[in-house]
Amino acid sequence: MRSIRIDPITRLEGHGKIEIFLDDDGGVSDCYFQIPELRGFERFVVGRPIEELPRIVTRICGVCPASHHMASAKAVDGCFGGELPPLARKLREMYYQAHYIHSHIAHFYALAAPDFVCGPDCDPATRNILGVVQKVGLEIGGQVIKARAMAQDIQTILGGRSTHVVWCIPGGVSKGLTKEELERIRPMADQLYDFTLFSLKLFKDVVLANPAYVDLILNGPYTLDVHNMGLVDENNAPNFYDGKVRVVDYEGNEICKYAPEEYHHHVAEHVEPWTYLKFPYLKQRGWKGFVEGIDTSLYCATPLARLNVADRMATPRAQEAFEEMFQVLGAKPCRALLAQHWARLVEMVQNAETLKGFVEDPEITGPGYRVVPQRITGEGVGIVEAMRGTLTHHYTCDEKGICTSANLIVGTTNNNAPIQMVTKKVAQALIRPGQEVTEPVLNMVEMAFRAFDPCYSCATHTLPGQMPLEAVVHQGGRVVKTLRKNLG
Amino acid sequence: MIERTLIVGMGNPYLRDDGVGIRLATDLMARLDLPEGIRRGPAGILPGLHIEPECSLGGLTLVELIDGFDRLVVLDSIDTRDGVPGDWHHFTAASLRETLNLSSVHDANFATALELGRRMGMRLPDDAEILVYAVEVEDTLTFDTALSPSLEARYAEFAGEIFADLAAALPATLEQAAGL
Repeated sequence: MRSIRIDPITRLEGHGKIEIFLDDDGGVSDCYFQIPELRGFERFVVGRPIEELPRIVTRICGVCPASHHMASAKAVDGCFGGELPPLARKLREMYYQAHYIHSHIAHFYALAAPDFVCGPDCDPATRNILGVVQKVGLEIGGQVIKARAMAQDIQTILGGRSTHVVWCIPGGVSKGLTKEELERIRPMADQLYDFTLFSLKLFKDVVLANPAYVDLILNGPYTLDVHNMGLVDENNAPNFYDGKVRVVDYEGNEICKYAPEEYHHHVAEHVEPWTYLKFPYLKQRGWKGFVEGIDTSLYCATPLARLNVADRMATPRAQEAFEEMFQVLGAKPCRALLAQHWARLVEMVQNAETLKGFVEDPEITGPGYRVVPQRITGEGVGIVEAMRGTLTHHYTCDEKGICTSANLIVGTTNNNAPIQMVTKKVAQALIRPGQEVTEPVLNMVEMAFRAFDPCYSCATHTLPGQMPLEAVVHQGGRVVKTLRKNLG
Repeated sequence: MIERTLIVGMGNPYLRDDGVGIRLATDLMARLDLPEGIRRGPAGILPGLHIEPECSLGGLTLVELIDGFDRLVVLDSIDTRDGVPGDWHHFTAASLRETLNLSSVHDANFATALELGRRMGMRLPDDAEILVYAVEVEDTLTFDTALSPSLEARYAEFAGEIFADLAAALPATLEQAAGL
């Protein structure tokens, strides 16, 4: 038995390690994707005032702090009876659009684009955002930086500070939006909209114009027959902040649609002895193992899954992009996991259009952005779509508002089983008996889970960015080969 | 034109030793007798000095934060293979390629992001003006606001050493600060 270890994973948030086990012929017999879990969050928050949790959970993850902040705030709202003025919801949702754009820009340009613009098998030293700039031109880098800064500024103006947002409080938000602040946001919202369309066009020009990439997306090993999960509004259009969770199988049939407080009837978590991270599955179907197929209880919660469960987009230009995407992909739902990167850009168009809609809303600078809760009901569930999947926070508190329990199902966790499965699938397809395992091959294995934009981090700087990637080949208990790549 | 220095405490205040950089930055503000919450904008107390006591950013986001500063000081944790909790390292961005932190791999590592920012025309400190003080830690995976006992036991020692070193590195900025 030989094994190949990829450790650490590059361009992924959190510690990770891939163990690839080869049989005696050199084919892949098994593959495990493992990450060390952070310990004791539930214990840490028990005994604290429940309204502190939205401020604490922003530190769970430095990548999607606002997603945790929003889901937590909604769960806390529930603990206090759930009353929320319409303006507070609008402001939170407006903020969340900017947060999405900020994150999606980074993922597309820094994580996804290097594989497509530079090529999955190019020199690893140039397969990064600088390589993208090199290839597409300096102009693009400047635009990326500028768009990121604007998305950040909008969040700062709305939420009052640039990092570790503390803006959502029980019954609303701690500050409203002034007319002067709105006028600062207006031109930025317009420019971000233009930038999302530009990004979509870039994807078409660079990726879709290259038959090899399209072939890789549609016909490579990067597909999985599992179901799809995402939040939708009353028209079954994606809503990232609120709505019902809809699950649709990969043939397009709705499996279930539930309100946040019903989540525990629909989702359960399976535990495996070799990892601390749980494996969510559709509870009513039962755990059936790591299997694909129409009867599986596994699902993806990703940008592509969100579009797969949607009947339409919520805004006009995003709707056009949505129709075009599924037309080119040739099926809806689509099972091609690398299409995540395209789906992310389509979502970003809706984010920008929604943001512009809030800018034009005559009530957005109004005064009624908070009601002071008058009662404690003791339990709340908050669900939002984090950029990388459906995020659930479930809290209970006593009659004094002190937290008695907390349960979180984090966006990435939903995809834990699919990530395991597709990593193994791609490894088996690419690592063949008698063939040398090269860095580009390992990178293409990584592309399988990079498509999910997985995030296993709770501290923003737990893992080196582009440390040397090491793959160790063992045979008969000794190291026969070591592969290294330094992407710094 | 006045030199602008940004000091940031990096880390996560809820993940045990990962909060050591934040504690150092908060402590530094207290020693400099700076009022709570001096952030970007005119500092007023010590011209040109800005402190961001709690910063959990990396990659592009961190570069966006330091745009316009002449010097960056990062107070952070580090976990090396044979490191002893409480020992500390001092290096500049010139050696970042060999370090184990300052990167949020979600977007781009810090060295890449710095390079990108410079190419895009941001006004970023030179590598030699990005000073990192990194304290060896024991546990950054457990939710807790206190440091590990082994690190706490040495806190006064390494904090004193780091602040003395920092005062020597930034005399013009910090010479008016008593007690350093």
